[in-house]
This record gives sequence, C-alpha cells and structure tokens, in this order.
Amino acid sequence: MIGKLFLTLATLALLHAAYSTYEHLSLLKALGKPEGSLPLDIVYESILALILGLLGASLNAPPLKDITWASEMKKRTIDGMDSRLGFAHYRSRGKFLFASPHDGKI
Amino acid sequence: MSLQSALERLATYRANNTRTSQDIFRNGLLVLQKGSFKKLGDDGKPFRWTSLEQLALASVDVGRLDIADQCLQLIADKFPNSPRVDCLVGIRMEATEPPETALKYYADILEADSANVAIWKRRISVLRRTGKVEKAVNELLQLLDTFYTDVEGWLELADIYASCNQYDHSFQALSHVLLLTPQNPFYVLQAAETAYTSEDFFLAIKMFLTVVDMTDADDSEQLLQESTPLGITVRAWFGVKLCARRIAQNANMKSLSNTSAPKNLELLDELATERLRVAYSSSGQKGEIAKGRQEVFAWVATPLA
Repeated sequence: MIGKLFLTLATLALLHAAYSTYEHLSLLKALGKPEGSLPLDIVYESILALILGLLGASLNAPPLKDITWASEMKKRTIDGMDSRLGFAHYRSRGKFLFASPHDGKI
Repeated sequence: MSLQSALERLATYRANNTRTSQDIFRNGLLVLQKGSFKKLGDDGKPFRWTSLEQLALASVDVGRLDIADQCLQLIADKFPNSPRVDCLVGIRMEATEPPETALKYYADILEADSANVAIWKRRISVLRRTGKVEKAVNELLQLLDTFYTDVEGWLELADIYASCNQYDHSFQALSHVLLLTPQNPFYVLQAAETAYTSEDFFLAIKMFLTVVDMTDADDSEQLLQESTPLGITVRAWFGVKLCARRIAQNANMKSLSNTSAPKNLELLDELATERLRVAYSSSGQKGEIAKGRQEVFAWVATPLA
C-alpha cells in the first residue's frame, strides 16, 4: 500500500517536473535567451521523484520465494510425483462418484 | 473466482502434475465459459488451449462427457492434424467404447508412426487395465528400451511389478528412476519402502535416512530442537523406526543387496523416536493437537527388541 502510494507520488512529481521544465524552456524561448539553466527546484523535484520511486518500487515488490530445491520439494505431494498421467486410467469410478444427483447423466 | 485466478490454479495443477479432477473441472468450466475460444486469432494466450485440454481430461474423469466432447471439438477445430489431439480422441474413446476399439485405434496410429510415445503409453495403459499385464510389461520394456529417460515409464513399471508382488523387480525399476532423477526425495522414499517390503532392511534404513537428509538438510541455521519434521520426512522417520525394530529382532540378518548393517542402531532408534515425538507435538493451526498423537507416542515408547 505504502509502495503504491510512493510510486504514484513519484510519477506525479516526475510529470510535474517535466511539465515545469517545458514551461520554463518556453518562457526562456519567449524571452529570447534559450541558453538559461534549469531552476534548482525542478532538479530537486526530479531527484525526489527518483528516490520516492525507488522506495515505492522496492516496497511494492511481491513477497520473496525460496530458491532451494528442498523448499520446492516441500510443496509437492506424493500423489503429484506418482501420478503417471501418461498411463492414467480414464475408465474409473469417477463418473459414479462425481456425477451430481440432479444431473441425470451418468 | 475470476478468470485469471482460475487460469493460475490450472497452471499450478499442470506444473505439479496432480490429478485433482473435481477442482480442475470447476475451474476449467469457468475458463470455458469466459475464455472466448470462439474468437479467432487467440494465439497470444496459448496456455488457454492447454487449460482446455486439462478440462477435457478432467471432465472424462468426472464423468461429464458432454463437456469433454465440447472441449475436444474446440481443440480439434483449432489444431486439425495434431498427434496430441489424436491422443485426446483416443482417451475419449477409451471412456465409452470397449477396449478393443481403442486398441485398434491406437494400433492404426502406431502403424503410421511407431515412435508416438503418448499413443504407445495409452496402449500400454489399456492393456494393463484390461488385465493383459504380461503384454503390458513387454510393451513397456520395449518403450523403455527405446526411450530410456522416460521417468514416468519406469515408475509405471515399478508400480506394475509391485502390484504383482515382485518387489525386487520393482526396486530395480526404481533404481533407474533414481539414476534419472537423483535429486527427488519422493522416489528415494518409494525405493526405501519397496526395499522394506522385500525385506532388505539394511538397504531400507539407509534409504530412509537419505530421504531425511534430502528433505531436512537446510535447517543448519536453526537449532535442531527448533525444527519440526514435516511432510515426507515424518514418513521417513517412521520407516527408520520400523527398520530399526526389525533389525533388532533378528540378530543374523543378511541383506540381499549386500548392504552393511547400520552402526549405532540404538542411537538411530532413539533419534527416530525423538523426531517423531517432535513431529506430533507441534500444535496445529488453531492450537489443536495432531491426530493420532497418543497412538504414536505409545508406539514409539515400546522398547527396541
């Protein structure tokens, strides 16, 4: 939540800084001195947007997963490992067990 | 339950190779209704077709052949001359037609292309189901001669032998599985239990301890007292305890595979007892006690010999 908030703020700040730069440059062009330097507060705003964006992206990341093989094996079951789906029998008791009584189909 | 979560669930089931047909059927039905298969050019999402295949198989399993036919029609329309579709058609045929029809269908396809592994496996499955176990074993051995790295085939062979009580041959098939997938503790556990059933207790206890090593070894940072055995580790500790008992009862035991006797049998037994007690002592999700705890505690407390 905080991560998303920071990311939104960072995006808004960056867009605002970009728009301010555009306005400033058009002002300089209108005044006839196109070589003026960027005002410091726009620079600070962009750097703030960068820091906020970094924080937001890190906090917004999904939870970390295990990388060891043993941890992956802990999530598996014997039924999954021994399922042998290529050889599975499809003529089983399933159609008698799972057909709902209102189905009328067997 | 949204389309996205249904697709994710189906993808998890595909990755884990489970056969939970009822749940797949529920989720897959959602994908079928919302998945917009009628629109052409849905090639950006190929996993929707695999989900449809999964739904087709699950509906055959659950008995809803109408949905299975619907899915098959959609898949066959999209992928006209595919061997995978042939396999699905064969499975659908197996569900309703007599086995001879299905066998003839498979024989026709195998004549055209004798290396079609999926169809060959279906043929072996039909042979096993109709009781022609010897023929099934011969065909399976041929298949494994041609395709040695087929783990599923070796597991099926081990299962067929075990169902006929030929546990030595079953163990041999499992040893090939262990060669092919050495990092998988489930197959080591199966091999250990097969060795136990064929009365080779030295080998069995060694393999049970290997399973414990494989599944519990990453607790090196925690103290041993804090880690609880979970999952197949508990099953392996049960195996160790059983083997220790049998070895202690019979002083001159010989191992058919010439494995050496374990040293410190009493210490192993004590360790297994303690681990099982810990496993059954941890409180569950709502602070409830593990089922069967009293029985386990009583059983592990009986002395060794």
